[in-house]
Amino acid sequence: MATTSLSGLRRQLADPGVALAFLAALATLGVFVLYPTFRVLVYPALADYLAIPRSVRWLQAARNSLVMMVLSTVTATFAGLVFAFAATRPDVPGRRFFRGVALLPLFAPPFMVAFAYILMFGRQGLITRTLLGLDVNIFGWHGLWLVQTVAFFPLAMLIIIGVLEAINPSLEHAARNLGADEWTVVRTVTLALARPGIAGAALVVAISVLADFGNAVVIAGGFPLLATEAWFRMEGLADLKGAALVVAMLIVPTTVLFLLERYWVSRRAYVTVTGRGSPIDHPPTHPALRWAAASFCAAMTVLVVLVYLGVIAGAFTTVWGRDWTPTLAHWRLAADRLPTLWASVRIGALAGAITGVVAVAVAFLTSRPLPLRAALDFLAVLPGALPGVFVGVGFVLAFNRPPLELVGTVWIIALALAFWHLPMGYQAAVATLKQIERSIEEAATNLGASGLRVLWDIYLPLLRRAFAGAFVVSFIRAVTNVSIVVFLVAPGNVVATFAILNMIGNGIWGAAAALTTMLLALTLAAVWIAQVALGRAVRGLPARVGA
Amino acid sequence: MRRVLILGVLATLVLSGAGAGVTFAQPNRIVVYSALPDLETTLVHREFTRRTGIQVEALSVAAAGTLAARIRAEKDRPRADIFVGGSADFHAPLATEGLLLAYRSPVAAEARVNPAYRDPNGFWHGWYLGALGIIINTDRWDRDMAPRRVAKPATWDDLVRPEFRGQFIMPSPMTTGGGFIFVAAQIFRLGEDRAWAWLRQLNANASQYTPTAPGTITLLARGEGVVGMQWAHEGIGARLANMQPLETLVPPDTAFEIGAASIIKGGPNPDGARAYVDFLLTRVPQVINASYGFRYPVRGDVPVPTGATPFDQLRFVRYDRDWAIQNMSRIRERWQREIGR
Repeated sequence: MATTSLSGLRRQLADPGVALAFLAALATLGVFVLYPTFRVLVYPALADYLAIPRSVRWLQAARNSLVMMVLSTVTATFAGLVFAFAATRPDVPGRRFFRGVALLPLFAPPFMVAFAYILMFGRQGLITRTLLGLDVNIFGWHGLWLVQTVAFFPLAMLIIIGVLEAINPSLEHAARNLGADEWTVVRTVTLALARPGIAGAALVVAISVLADFGNAVVIAGGFPLLATEAWFRMEGLADLKGAALVVAMLIVPTTVLFLLERYWVSRRAYVTVTGRGSPIDHPPTHPALRWAAASFCAAMTVLVVLVYLGVIAGAFTTVWGRDWTPTLAHWRLAADRLPTLWASVRIGALAGAITGVVAVAVAFLTSRPLPLRAALDFLAVLPGALPGVFVGVGFVLAFNRPPLELVGTVWIIALALAFWHLPMGYQAAVATLKQIERSIEEAATNLGASGLRVLWDIYLPLLRRAFAGAFVVSFIRAVTNVSIVVFLVAPGNVVATFAILNMIGNGIWGAAAALTTMLLALTLAAVWIAQVALGRAVRGLPARVGA
Repeated sequence: MRRVLILGVLATLVLSGAGAGVTFAQPNRIVVYSALPDLETTLVHREFTRRTGIQVEALSVAAAGTLAARIRAEKDRPRADIFVGGSADFHAPLATEGLLLAYRSPVAAEARVNPAYRDPNGFWHGWYLGALGIIINTDRWDRDMAPRRVAKPATWDDLVRPEFRGQFIMPSPMTTGGGFIFVAAQIFRLGEDRAWAWLRQLNANASQYTPTAPGTITLLARGEGVVGMQWAHEGIGARLANMQPLETLVPPDTAFEIGAASIIKGGPNPDGARAYVDFLLTRVPQVINASYGFRYPVRGDVPVPTGATPFDQLRFVRYDRDWAIQNMSRIRERWQREIGR
């Protein structure tokens, strides 16, 4: 973006507030991201690492993980883009509905999504068997591809929406007035400006796919993948060393992805929120484009809704596939676990708040011309490369003794979840920041505002949406997480997903479905409250910038 | 102004998390990591507290490996006193690594429990038993196999019959204790070379090897396969407690697990932990485990679980547990080479 003058740089460095904040952020990420990672990586000996190429299964798992990453990232990002496009066009039919539906996959524990697909599309599936009479095997890479696409496109959508909404419609008007046709406008203005968002979304999806074990563990069948292999090492064999090794293999591709994204995204400047613009209505979308987007969203909606129908119907069905008599018996059993729901909400809110604050602060700091900002940036994205089990074990190894003795407390779960979900919030905040023209800030600085004053008065209002997004996503993911909490829950703070996983493990599916339904209702209610509290400020944003 | 308000709300939220959940050692309380399901765990602990006055904080996870890994991770400062449930194969390595506290319960001798069911050095005590079985989905059997007059499998060798092509499910020996014990049992039954030829034949029938043990029951109950191999008590429990269409039998030349309990070295309350181990070896907890978990008791004075053949009427392969554990990684490597999935 605009060149920063040498005097500007000197002023940044001299500003004690910014410098202190920078050091604090670096220290925080060092303690909660780098240190646990380091503890896990040095757990196996060098000889263990050298033995990796001899394991046929692990090499197979590595190859499979990469294949799934490519397949699921392409489809999930594409679906996310179409949904984001539909959601930000006032004239696409049903856009609010589609946006709401697209958020649904984020509300359920991932294993439940995969489980519902087995109920719907498996050998005894309601649709495949009972309705269509087919004999389908959903287990394997194709089932996983479907499930991961449905599970991860909402992440892509959330990130891309943030960027699309920040694009000033006047640019599209300008392109059209200059004679560009509809397709050219979308391609050269909308999509081109959304590129950092799309790239960021693809990056987040790719590393989520690589680290995803919740879906894979249920539906991949005998198809070995790195993330699940790490989990099986631990769950089946109590082999912490093997798990650490597998996870170390996972970090290689994610680092490559990270560098690729940096290079590709930073090639263009994308400034559309300026101090001079004023809000204009969106131009009408071309009918063909509008209906294509709507039909695609409708098809995806069916896939998403099926999951939820499966879970909710399962909660009221005596025995799925055999005895379809409606019953409330599962709810009595699930009601015994109500305290776990409260624990989930409390931990989720804590994690969401930490993610939101850290994401926005780090995004602001990495946008400054400060030394070591690449390191800060890397630390903020790194957790996305780590599977949940890795983070869980890392936190136990790192914080089980003084000075930071956190094991057994609510804090360790909240912190682990917050920092694990940091990349999502951070990417969203960065994409939003890239949209802000530096001239607003320069004006403030020239009028004598300090660096922190700039953050408070200029960036904070603009970043509120990024904060809200980070909070909500982190909250939802924390409440539905299993892979981390399985290691960090202690007697006394057992969370709902953990209880559900146990119920599934013990074959009590009806009660598991009932408790999941309660979790869904509670999560939706919490998110709705958050949106009411934070969303009002967001809507007033363009007017305030223009004033 | 609104910004200040929001930051205030966040600060309150963050502070509300402080001070919650910190645990301290208490003389009248023990912390238990349980690999048994919630129901059995809760019932056993209720009875323990009633008899001893010691409160129990339990964490039950249906996966012994997860708990064992957790105990390893917490080795610098153990949080729990007891690791209960799961095969002794999960407890023995913890003992080797020096993470367990030796104890010889007087109750084991009083009750004349078979000495083979406890560690000679006192690091773990077996208090229940489980045998590997063949599990059949009766719905699918009636639909797909009965009309073709296929005979129900009764032995391990029946599992390789061509009628079951693509219909067999078992836990993966690469990632589960039960799957591994099954493969080792075939080696003890047939000798190493013939066992691998036999396992290749079985592989032709396998639809999948589930990465977790409960996964096999889940898939069989869903009808994703017709026959499977898993712990017999899991199959019986799925039918009797959860009304799943599963039939379970234990073939000759089967193998068994010893369900163990051990004391974690350095835990907050070792005296309470010893009282807990003593309690598990008494009659009541074994009755609870047999009634609700369908697992065999180690005591002779506890009735056989509903739906199960008495343990002493089962026919076991000569299973050398020490040899199996020593050769575990070699067998798993060969599995990768021979079976490749």
